[in-house]
Amino acid sequence: MDIEKSTQELADRLQYIQDIFGSRQPGDVALLAEKLAEFRAREQAEGMPQKVKLLAQIQDLFDFVEKKLDAELVPMDKVRIVRHPQRITLKDILEFVYDNYTEIGGQDEYSIDPSMVIARAYITRRIGDKVHNQPVMVIGQEKGHGQEFRNGGSVKPWGNAKALQYMKVAETENIPIHTYVFTPGAFPVEDYPGAAQQIARNLYEMAALRVPVVACFSEGGSGGAEAIALADTRLMLSHGYYSVISPEGAAAIESGIRQGQRAPVSMIEECAERLKITAADNLRMGYIDRVVHEPPLGARPHHYDFFKRLRQEMIMATDEAFLGVKGLGLIRGMALKRRKKDAVADPESMFVRWVLDEGAADRLVWKRYSKFRNMAKGAMRDKTPASRRLTDSLQQVSWSTYSYLRYEFLRTYGKKLMTLAEETRAEAGVVLEKVLRPFKSGGARKVDTQTIQKLTELSCAEEGICLTGDWDGGYVSPKAREDKAVTCPNASTHGCLDLWAPDLFGDFAGVCQYCGHHFPMEYQWFIHNVLDKDSAIEFGQDVEAGNPLDYPGFDQKIEEAKRKNKIKSSCLTYEASIDGVKIVIGVLVAPFRGGTVGAAEGEKFIRALSRARKKHYPFLAYVHGTAGIRIQEGTNGVIQMPRATMAVRRYIEAGGLYTVLYDTNSYAGPVASFLGCSPYQFSVRSANIGFAGPGVIKETTGIDIAPDYHKAYNALARGHIQGIWDRREIRNNLVQAFQTIGGRNLYYR
Amino acid sequence: MQDVKAILEEIKASPYEEVAILAPHAGKVQFKVAGEGTKVYAPSGTWREKPGTLLASLERERNPRPITCTRKGEVQSVNTQLDGTFVEAGTPLMVLRHFFTKEEVTQAILKKVLFLFPAPERAKYLFAPEVDKKVKVSGCQSIKVKDGMDLFIVSRMKREKPLAYNGPDGILYAVYFSYDQNVDAGQPLVSVCPENQMDMIRDVVNRVQSDWEERE
Amino acid sequence: MRIIQACCKLGLDFVCVYTAEDEASGHLSLARELGGQAFRISSYHDANEIMAVADHAGATAVHPGYGYFAEDYRFARRVCERTRPMIWIGPSWRVIRTLGDKINTKRLARSLGVPTVPGSDRPVYDELEAEEIADSLFRFQAEQGIDLARVLVKASAGGGGMGIEEVHNLDHFKTVYRRIRNYSKRQFHDEGVLIEQRILDFNHLEVQIAADRHGSIAHFGTRNCTIQSTGRQKRVEIAPGFAPDQIKYSFDAAKVLDDITNHSLAIAKEVGYDNVGTWEWIVTPAGQPFLMEVNTRIQVENGVSAAISRLKGQPGVDIIKEQIRMGLGDPMGFTQQDITFEGIGIEYRIIAEDPANRFTPWVGRIDRFNPPQAPWLSMHSQIPQDKPYVIPTEFDPNLALAIIWGKDLAEAKSRGVEFLDRLVLQGQDQEGNPMKSNIAFLREKTSDILVF
Repeated sequence: MDIEKSTQELADRLQYIQDIFGSRQPGDVALLAEKLAEFRAREQAEGMPQKVKLLAQIQDLFDFVEKKLDAELVPMDKVRIVRHPQRITLKDILEFVYDNYTEIGGQDEYSIDPSMVIARAYITRRIGDKVHNQPVMVIGQEKGHGQEFRNGGSVKPWGNAKALQYMKVAETENIPIHTYVFTPGAFPVEDYPGAAQQIARNLYEMAALRVPVVACFSEGGSGGAEAIALADTRLMLSHGYYSVISPEGAAAIESGIRQGQRAPVSMIEECAERLKITAADNLRMGYIDRVVHEPPLGARPHHYDFFKRLRQEMIMATDEAFLGVKGLGLIRGMALKRRKKDAVADPESMFVRWVLDEGAADRLVWKRYSKFRNMAKGAMRDKTPASRRLTDSLQQVSWSTYSYLRYEFLRTYGKKLMTLAEETRAEAGVVLEKVLRPFKSGGARKVDTQTIQKLTELSCAEEGICLTGDWDGGYVSPKAREDKAVTCPNASTHGCLDLWAPDLFGDFAGVCQYCGHHFPMEYQWFIHNVLDKDSAIEFGQDVEAGNPLDYPGFDQKIEEAKRKNKIKSSCLTYEASIDGVKIVIGVLVAPFRGGTVGAAEGEKFIRALSRARKKHYPFLAYVHGTAGIRIQEGTNGVIQMPRATMAVRRYIEAGGLYTVLYDTNSYAGPVASFLGCSPYQFSVRSANIGFAGPGVIKETTGIDIAPDYHKAYNALARGHIQGIWDRREIRNNLVQAFQTIGGRNLYYR
Repeated sequence: MQDVKAILEEIKASPYEEVAILAPHAGKVQFKVAGEGTKVYAPSGTWREKPGTLLASLERERNPRPITCTRKGEVQSVNTQLDGTFVEAGTPLMVLRHFFTKEEVTQAILKKVLFLFPAPERAKYLFAPEVDKKVKVSGCQSIKVKDGMDLFIVSRMKREKPLAYNGPDGILYAVYFSYDQNVDAGQPLVSVCPENQMDMIRDVVNRVQSDWEERE
Repeated sequence: MRIIQACCKLGLDFVCVYTAEDEASGHLSLARELGGQAFRISSYHDANEIMAVADHAGATAVHPGYGYFAEDYRFARRVCERTRPMIWIGPSWRVIRTLGDKINTKRLARSLGVPTVPGSDRPVYDELEAEEIADSLFRFQAEQGIDLARVLVKASAGGGGMGIEEVHNLDHFKTVYRRIRNYSKRQFHDEGVLIEQRILDFNHLEVQIAADRHGSIAHFGTRNCTIQSTGRQKRVEIAPGFAPDQIKYSFDAAKVLDDITNHSLAIAKEVGYDNVGTWEWIVTPAGQPFLMEVNTRIQVENGVSAAISRLKGQPGVDIIKEQIRMGLGDPMGFTQQDITFEGIGIEYRIIAEDPANRFTPWVGRIDRFNPPQAPWLSMHSQIPQDKPYVIPTEFDPNLALAIIWGKDLAEAKSRGVEFLDRLVLQGQDQEGNPMKSNIAFLREKTSDILVF
């Protein structure tokens, strides 16, 4: 026995324990250190048998203490576990969970993005004397045990693009996908395809992938995690975390510190606790399906038993995903149930073919949609009275029926009727022309008095004399009531003169007359001055933002936001018309907690989409401003990314026209999901669009970015958005967009 | 050609220039810097995104507008008697003392020793197309100019006409115009250095780099 | 300057503003001479400077002069609606807004039966409709015997000459229409176009209106401003607009003058006009008047109307003085019956420019400026007579305004020629070339004034 090696292993274990407990070192750790030192001192003098005995003793002690300490782990310790260089990585999993694999498009640092690893792997099942090799596509972030070039698993936009490409490959090959989430968050650069926009694209595509996806979380950092985690079954390692933001990030926001400073350690620990990021928390909230138990203090590469367990879990989850939609044979179903009850039973003893036919794939996609649709229901307050709910649902049925008659039935039969009518009319025209010709020809070149009247007298007198008469009325910004001058930020470079606030925020719609700089305006300006006058009717007001995590102090803050803004969540939904075209609008209101999206906002957005789908109206997402996902709601907020994206996809696939319009600062989660996935994203000149703000970019990447990095023009240049509008032209441009993109047939295919 | 050393000594004797800060518009002024000797800074940051030291604020129509420092230096004098009063546009508010940087000293010397080709009228200037191409690829010092050579295009009131260079033959040492800005009549467009003097010019640059101490 | 003088006549205190370039200008020295305050500002275009100075000086009313801000309803609104409101010497901002919009003005006129240029009075969006209007305009002109029929296509959201094109015949209309429509869409995000008859041969007439804040409206006669530079800048103005008693016209000129005066008054009444203003008309060779636009401000040429006006029989009418007085809220104090007209007035604008070369402005130094003196002549100029003067390049090189009065056309014309001949104006530019001015041009034009 190599005593030296074993001693070294113990020293490593001790170091690991010390690492993960950070500044908070329980007494037991000191004990272990002491015992290890003692052993080392005594070991020299002892003979071999005694050495072995002592070693066994101290190993037992380590095992015992580790088990004991495991129960004492606080959330922040788990954060340290998943970030520890000894933490298992995707490469370890490929090595020990799968029977064989080929890495696709990467060899260490030679890869388009070494932090994203793709592999074709297979799992071998031996049933009787038959051997089945079952292929899977494995996709996940690679932290590489501290390898610098892996970037800690922080994936660049093109890394996520690669992941998407191979998900589509798996779809073509009709093989399941296993994804492993090992990321602290996406690398927040805007270079094409763009952090946010690529994640949005991934979500949009994953929403309808026609093969099962099983995701396994170790480190689930917000948007970066979602890029590959929209799955049919979501497993989570017991010592992992899944969170809306890193505890450090939350603490920085919470303590309101400036860029470059560090938040106090106690605050970080507290945030880790408050955000409810552990596997147990997420299981309870329903955002993951099962927890895969790890050895005490977290899985490391030498825990072979753990890999076996993980393999079984992954196989079982994949089997379930297939069987759940395959049109279960009765016997199989019973067998599966039995297997679930009897956890020790080996899933490999039963063979499930991992192939889906068309019908099953349809069911799979629908099931995935339903699964996410039903998440986070308890995380918001729906104050809709029961009676209203009933009438609402009845009404929805009637909308659907009406839409069916209007668009489906009439399209088929109406067309025939129309053609017939047109033909008849054309024939009648020919006859009439023949009859009238002798009378008409003589005076054709003469100007009759009626024509002269047309040229010289008032036309359309009924519309009033002043055609541009909409001068008074409409929404007037409170900023337009102050008698003061306002300086344009471009004054020094463009020579803009000061503008009088009532002119600037009134007539000019917040646009500098000289250089076109856009000052922010209130969301009400859009509602009242862009949409048809008094046409906006709000719905869904009864869904209120809450405090699902009981985040300390947040109750007051959210109540304050509700009181100050006189609205119940940052998402307002309206039915309105613009130039007579009826539309459904979802607004993200910047002054309400920065326009952040939580469970209530996500739910309202989804309901609005479904209303638009049932009524066959175009949908406009007007982003007055959004700072991202509401961090105080934790994963209740993050989960809105896949949820809302799936709803968008469902709406678009039903033939809807989904347009997004950004007005001010629009960042992070929402852009990286249900907004960014729109093929028609437009922006008012004033907007900044991106994944992370300048502060966060500096913090996470160390890169200084130019002040205009996120400006709409740069977003357009990078291909993230499809057009930039002047605020004063929003209405015209919207009408134009609806007409040209939607077509005459009311925006439905 | 003048004696470079003498010029350098001359500049050393008074190593700064005085910059008068005038009220850019009418309004009520409030000074934000302590009196004489206060150090003031120019805009900084990779993109000059951090503004210079706030010198004063000038409030007009309930809108206090900052007057910030554009060049590094120190305050020489402040017209403190104006503090809190209404001033007309163009009223002198304070005087700053700006110490020359190495770059500025080099430029100042070069402007004295090199041949400067002046703009004949107020207009925008461009290089002739072939020259422009060469300048963009290999820099202006790759251009050898000759008397009578078509070097520029004068752009005024959207009309363009060629302009020939006249002066000694040599190498185009520096360019003082940009395509989007008007140059006043008499202001230099380019400086030209006879080929045999290039070494001496490099010597000037090196000497300034080593001799000149920038003051903080 | 004339505003300062008017204030003095009314016994009012005044404050004026100037820019660094105008340090040497006459209005500044006059203001100082007459004991008024003067403040230097960064730009005449910066409303904030004017408000700030007004507050500091404690001004209670603002006169915008002839230019820039006079027809800016936002400026007028700001003057009236700020925390420390002041009186706006000019029509109320709502009136400025209504009449500032050409389509509105046209529709307003039509609603009152006032003749306007034939064509559309609203933006046209439909190609077929547009073509139909153009077609009828061509036929309409053909019927009137107009040889060179022309139709104008304008971007309805445009202004100031941008996005206007002429069409010679219907075959070209579609191309031009589409070009303008696309231009308008690109430039103004609006596809609307206006289609109008283009009138090639016409006289430019004006009606001087004055009103108080209490509903009294009167006119100070008509002017003829047909003599213009190639850039459509007025050079000679004559009051009244026609002289039917001394010149023979092919139409009833007296009736035309009456008609345009009455139409102008009708519109003024309709919008509740409450200060001075000018109604601009064009009159075709057939004597058909069309309303062009309304200038909601005092104009430079008000003096020539004042020259032929007699108030209760007395000469020395000052329309600017009346404007300020009524703007401050005084009732008019006279009626239309109290205003009578006598003789002919000619106003010359003496400008440093080269009429032979498309009226290019001349830049240089004036060494001698020596206008003659006469009881029938009044001069307005900021050029000093005792020292050389360098023309500032920032503004139009307007040098002087001369108003000549004669009891009839013949006398006015001969006095005009006499004035121009005796006027001494010399100078040189940077290269030492002698000064160029429009004096010869004015003299040549004098012979056929008021002839149509």
